[in-house]
Amino acid sequence: MKKNRVYTVSSLLAWIGGNSKFWLVALPAMAMLAQAPVAYANAEVTSVVQQSNAVKGSVKDATGESLIGVSVTVKGKKGVGTITDIDGNYSISCNAKDILVFSYVGYATQEIAVKNQKQLNIVLKEDTKVLDEVIVIGYGTTTRKSAVGAVDQVKASMIEDRPVANMTDALQGAAPNVVIQQRSSNPNDRKTNFNIRGISTVNDNSPLFVIDGLIADGGSFDKLNPNDIENISILKDAGAAAIYGSRSSNGVVLVTTKKGKKNQRATVRLNGMMGWQNPDILFSPVKGYQNATLRNLAATNAGEAPKYTPDQIRDLAAHQDEESWFFDQIMRTALQQNYNLSVSGGSDKTTYMVSLGYYNQESNYVGNNDFGVQRYNFRTNITTEVGRLKLNAIMAYTRNNSVSTTGGNLEVDAARVPTYYYYKMKSADGRYLLNDVLSEFNPLGSLEAGGRNKYRNNYLNANVNAELRLIDGLKLRGVLGADVINDMRSTRNLGVAYYLNEEATEPRPVKDTDYRTSNWNHTAYLINTQLLLDYNKTFGKHNVSGLFGVTNESFTSSSNDIEKKGVDPDLGIGTDITNSTVGNITGSTFVDDSNRTSLTSLLGRVGYSYADRYYTEFSFRYDASSKFHKDYRWGFFPSVSLGWRLSEESFMQTYKERVGDLKLRTSFGILGNQSIGTYDRFTVYELYNNSYAYNNQTVSGAGFKLGKDNLTWEKTKTFNIGVDASFFNNALNVTLDYFYKRTNDILMKPLVPTVFGTDMAMDNIGEMQNQGWDLSINYRLRTGSVNHNFNFNIGDSWNEVLKYPGHERISQIEELSRLTREGCPLESYYGYKMDGFFQSYEEIEASAIPVGGKVQPGDVKFVDRNEDGVIDSKDKFVLGNAFPRYTFGFNYNLKWKGLDFGMFWQGVGKRDMMLRGELIEPFHANYSYNIYKHQLDFWTPTNTHARWPRLTAPGSTSNRNNYGNGQGSDLFLMDGKYLRLKNLQIGYTLPKTWSRKMGMEKTRIYVNGQNLLTFSNNSFIDPESTEFDSKMGNSGANSGRNYPTLRYYGFGIDIEF
Amino acid sequence: MKLRKYIAFAGMAVLMLCSCNEMENAPMNKFTDNSYWTSATKAQYVVNMAYSQMYNAGRMWSDESLSDNVYDGRSVDDQRAIRKGMGTPSLDIFKNEWKDLYGGIKTCHVFLEKVDLVPNMDAALKARMVAEIRYIRASLYFRLTNLYGAVPFFTEDITLEKSRSVSRTDRETIISFIHQELEDIKDALPTRDQLSEEERGKITKGAVCALQARVYLMDSDWSNVMLYCDNLMNKQGEYGTYALFPDYAGLFDEANEYNEEVIMDRSYVPNLITWGEMVDMIPLSRGGRAVSRVPQQSLIDTYLMLSGKTISETGTDYNPAYPYDNRDPRLTATIIYDGYDWSGNVDDGSKNVVINIRPGSGTDAYDGGGNGTSTGYFTRKYYNPQAPGDQNSGMNIITMRYADILLMYAEAVHETSGMTEEVWNKTIRPIRERAGFTADAALNFPIGKSKEEMRQIIRDERRVEMAMEGLRWYDIKRWKAGNKYLSGKVRGASFVDENKLDTRKFEEARDYLWAVPISEINLNPNLAPNNPGYGN
Repeated sequence: MKKNRVYTVSSLLAWIGGNSKFWLVALPAMAMLAQAPVAYANAEVTSVVQQSNAVKGSVKDATGESLIGVSVTVKGKKGVGTITDIDGNYSISCNAKDILVFSYVGYATQEIAVKNQKQLNIVLKEDTKVLDEVIVIGYGTTTRKSAVGAVDQVKASMIEDRPVANMTDALQGAAPNVVIQQRSSNPNDRKTNFNIRGISTVNDNSPLFVIDGLIADGGSFDKLNPNDIENISILKDAGAAAIYGSRSSNGVVLVTTKKGKKNQRATVRLNGMMGWQNPDILFSPVKGYQNATLRNLAATNAGEAPKYTPDQIRDLAAHQDEESWFFDQIMRTALQQNYNLSVSGGSDKTTYMVSLGYYNQESNYVGNNDFGVQRYNFRTNITTEVGRLKLNAIMAYTRNNSVSTTGGNLEVDAARVPTYYYYKMKSADGRYLLNDVLSEFNPLGSLEAGGRNKYRNNYLNANVNAELRLIDGLKLRGVLGADVINDMRSTRNLGVAYYLNEEATEPRPVKDTDYRTSNWNHTAYLINTQLLLDYNKTFGKHNVSGLFGVTNESFTSSSNDIEKKGVDPDLGIGTDITNSTVGNITGSTFVDDSNRTSLTSLLGRVGYSYADRYYTEFSFRYDASSKFHKDYRWGFFPSVSLGWRLSEESFMQTYKERVGDLKLRTSFGILGNQSIGTYDRFTVYELYNNSYAYNNQTVSGAGFKLGKDNLTWEKTKTFNIGVDASFFNNALNVTLDYFYKRTNDILMKPLVPTVFGTDMAMDNIGEMQNQGWDLSINYRLRTGSVNHNFNFNIGDSWNEVLKYPGHERISQIEELSRLTREGCPLESYYGYKMDGFFQSYEEIEASAIPVGGKVQPGDVKFVDRNEDGVIDSKDKFVLGNAFPRYTFGFNYNLKWKGLDFGMFWQGVGKRDMMLRGELIEPFHANYSYNIYKHQLDFWTPTNTHARWPRLTAPGSTSNRNNYGNGQGSDLFLMDGKYLRLKNLQIGYTLPKTWSRKMGMEKTRIYVNGQNLLTFSNNSFIDPESTEFDSKMGNSGANSGRNYPTLRYYGFGIDIEF
Repeated sequence: MKLRKYIAFAGMAVLMLCSCNEMENAPMNKFTDNSYWTSATKAQYVVNMAYSQMYNAGRMWSDESLSDNVYDGRSVDDQRAIRKGMGTPSLDIFKNEWKDLYGGIKTCHVFLEKVDLVPNMDAALKARMVAEIRYIRASLYFRLTNLYGAVPFFTEDITLEKSRSVSRTDRETIISFIHQELEDIKDALPTRDQLSEEERGKITKGAVCALQARVYLMDSDWSNVMLYCDNLMNKQGEYGTYALFPDYAGLFDEANEYNEEVIMDRSYVPNLITWGEMVDMIPLSRGGRAVSRVPQQSLIDTYLMLSGKTISETGTDYNPAYPYDNRDPRLTATIIYDGYDWSGNVDDGSKNVVINIRPGSGTDAYDGGGNGTSTGYFTRKYYNPQAPGDQNSGMNIITMRYADILLMYAEAVHETSGMTEEVWNKTIRPIRERAGFTADAALNFPIGKSKEEMRQIIRDERRVEMAMEGLRWYDIKRWKAGNKYLSGKVRGASFVDENKLDTRKFEEARDYLWAVPISEINLNPNLAPNNPGYGN
């Protein structure tokens, strides 16, 4: 009988797999199941109430509030149970000798013997047993006390009700060594760096994301609705992560979404949040007449004629009230809204959860009210049990809409124009104006009339999970997941007529190429199949667990892009017949850019523990990736972990009673990274359109890219040792970890002399080590009726390049210079050290200066490191590193009766930050024509201890010495540490009696703010902004030339009924 | 027992569940090494790529910036730093040119190595393609050796190991290879007259001759310069028919591409293959953006008066108050100056547009900073009214033209036996006639000039005729005239604040060659020592 059933299920699964049509029918059917449990639950409550031999009572919490939906079951009797009603009352039929079990999420389960009583009033205590807390790990769960890996948990409460744009934002500061840096606050172009435990490769350092057990495309994480998240587990060490094998070396982020709870009545939650975001521009220009005066000083300091006459300066001074800065003119306060609705509940067999979310963030750019993003989330999660079979179906859909400007460099173009009253971006009659600084276009014209990019991104996730209990302790689980991604972009670039000045009657010629229509479509799907055998059984003091599985992930994507220049004058877009020379499609057009990968894996984990005292665990993954040649395809990633709960030892009995729990754990393993292009191992010939022409007819050209067959994984050997300790009856919990990672076979291109003629293929050649520590402290405190909760975490990591092609590389980013050298951290700042400013000609006479240089008092003096009398490349120092260290987060929550207060601080304890360009150099390089207020402390004969060198005109030898020698110096170096009040929230929950009158179970209102306060050593730049990506690569927008940080003020309401 | 069965079922189930991709998947939209060399068409694509790597507008303008014709006034780019005497082996321009030129050579070598894989290829077609590739390789090596002197030299695809140890080959060896190559291939190529219309722009026998002459010119090998110029002047039946295009300004009109004067050019096509340097060289009022590369006063001063006199010789009719009046018409065809009659000289449909550059005269006025001109001039030659507003131009860049042949011939004759009236009348005179001179004093052979005076006349003629065509730096280099032309104060128009212009510095012992990029020496110590005068 048993055998038959198993056979049927297996073959059913097989049949299902072969029949894609089945899923077409099954998925909607499962979605419809959502209706069923509601009826089921009601029916059961009714039937129980009709029983005559009943125990009645109420369930309340410690403060006397009734608890609704508490599950009441009879121990040992399956299928008998009820839940408390709206007033916390229950009634259940049972025998006099039965034991009733009261369980409720967040509260300790209580078992009460009936003992002939008819009335049992229960007070449930909040569950503070951290040790029994369930921890989600790869392909399973464990408990806090038996966890032997380095795993951080981030709970829903850390994420909910915060005005974050996406999940990555929400995780900033939430766990030690989860380093998140926001590079741009632009809602249409959010860029964040996500590093777990620092940098361990020169390639992709972003973690692996796993959503409800399915490995997800990196972008999917931010498509989730933060309100749908139940829990996030961050796997940091080899013990926890090795089961994800070839992609786990940067850590793994496991997301579990919310589901309904068994025996819970249908609960409807509605929350809304609304607020305003102010762009926080941290630097500001001086008054126009001051600017002109100082520019004259810069010119005369360099021996040039002054730029402005005294009359012109007087004129600017007379009109200073009419001045307005372009940067202020293109930014505005924008609205952000977030609404969520969810329904969840369950019977004793079936649970369900349905949620809807809507998020809308306007852009802070002026010019088009459509600029901004909207996200729509829909999610269902249904679980049902049929005998030994447990079925779970999750369906989620996300739609992201985005409309953004086609303009670029808007901030810097706006910021670099002096505030002179006669500079205007738009004339009174609505024409866009140019001036001698912006001679091609202006930001306002780009924003208002330049067209837009419109994104319509769809993401569908279906996850079906069947679990069959085979024998006691042994489960077979089959998972089928599909991510379907469909992204579209349509771009309409419009030419803008710009007038050279207000009097001009003819606009500057409008570019034909400014009229461009392009559409891009991208579709991708990721099919994930898993079959897992899971065993867990306790024999007396021995616990044995085992997991074995086979999985495959197949990813397929293809995209196309079509672009036409010129547009139909009536339609405003390119048409089928827009085919003149002007209308021809351009080189960027492609019909099919496709990509296919497959990853097949065997994975397993074996664990044994004795008496909750000794733990040992071995896990592995054996991966085969299609990115590699078949001879180098398979990689084996093992790990072993050990745990010892000292406090369980008999000799520690006194310690356990007086102090608390103490556990030591350690792990070692090998993790992988396969961060190369899908087809990097092939030598490919690519055809390029329009490479050359004969007789003005274009012809194609062919180029080639070399590949290499024997590419394989990067391997990171990872060691972790940690201690978990609790004090004061679990009120204080401390976790401390140290880790060491060494990555071999880093995939890099060997340094090839350019005589070779082309780039060499990727190869496994680099080596790097990375170590650091994590500390988190959690403290719960109750003083009278006030509940406090403190969470503090801090982490540090530092890396060292061990092997690098060519042993070192110096790279230039305009005025800055960086060094990657064996023995130094990756991409360190490099350059000269300042030795103050020259104070006299005598000092110059006696000092070393750069080759070919000419300086004057007030110019920067550099340290002649090798004392050879000249400043050259041999005098450079390693000046610092831009990767954040001592990153920390601090969360404090207070609850007093209905009032709640929460604040969240986040920051960085140590970071070097080099800036360049106009924020450092006044009148930067004939590009910016401004001096900003923070630059006024410059050297003059009477201000010799200044922050900045004397003013000099761009291009002059002094200017080149101070800023532009292309070698970098610590003049550009800032202290990047900061402390920021990321979030502040004050809420009030209405007394239940009031809520009830309005037909609600719970009503909470709150006000909140984000980025309210920042402590930093630099007033003029957001200390969080960085110009480097998660692998320290140079990532464009730099040195404050980006969208300003946003300050949020808002309010919200949570309703439950 | 039971367990094993479960696992068996499980395995089966997983296999069937897999709608997975295969593990062996080659790219679907790109050719791999095995699937590429299958047809003559695909071989031709590689030839086309090599053509595109041979030369481009960027190189022409960059070379021009190395000379005394123009000045990069907006920011200190590498060319300007070199001219300020601040060239160091770590300049990007040294690195990038080196990389690009060897990249082109790679394409040639891969072609030569693989073309035999193409099955059943027509022999004549293959021979012609091979000849084109060898011509391109010769051009690339010529440029390399002009810039860097002795360079790594190899004639088949280089291995990675060899690229790390190859040392530099002296210039003479490379130059004689170039001559030998050009000699070997010339008969596999058609003449200009044999080209079908669709083939215009391809490498011809005439282009081989012109390149021979130019390579010999660099070494002042006058007899060979005369020999190859003579081929093009007097043996046009064998080497192709060439003549001066009647209109100097029209030579640089998009409509007149592939005219009878053009021996070789670099193709561009409107909207599809374009070059965009012009946007930073023309007046703001005509679509200029951030004007950087602007003509120098010394170039303007080199243009003769219509009378045939220079602006400074005795009896000149030059009037400093009206410096641009009665000048060689090529000045107007090349340079935009204060009071320039735009509408009269640029066929862009505008009316009565005059470019005013004097301070305070409006949008294009000199103001000593900002986005305007730093010398008081803008560039006219190669401005293309047909280009769209962003100035991305589809106009071909002429790399060799017949006037250059005449000028090379004139110079070679003068340097060997001295200029004669006969040679003058075959070379300088037709060039001046075509330029628009009519005065006898300007057209006739100047009598009574010393050898040195005549040399200057020929060199100045070359400067103005070929201005803005990327040749001037190489002329100065072969004349060893760096000190004369490339040192001292850069000058602009009379109203320009000269304090803002550079003082140039030329090191005779160093600056005729570029430095081998320091990054390359670091990778391959056999490239050391660097060229004389360059530190590290």
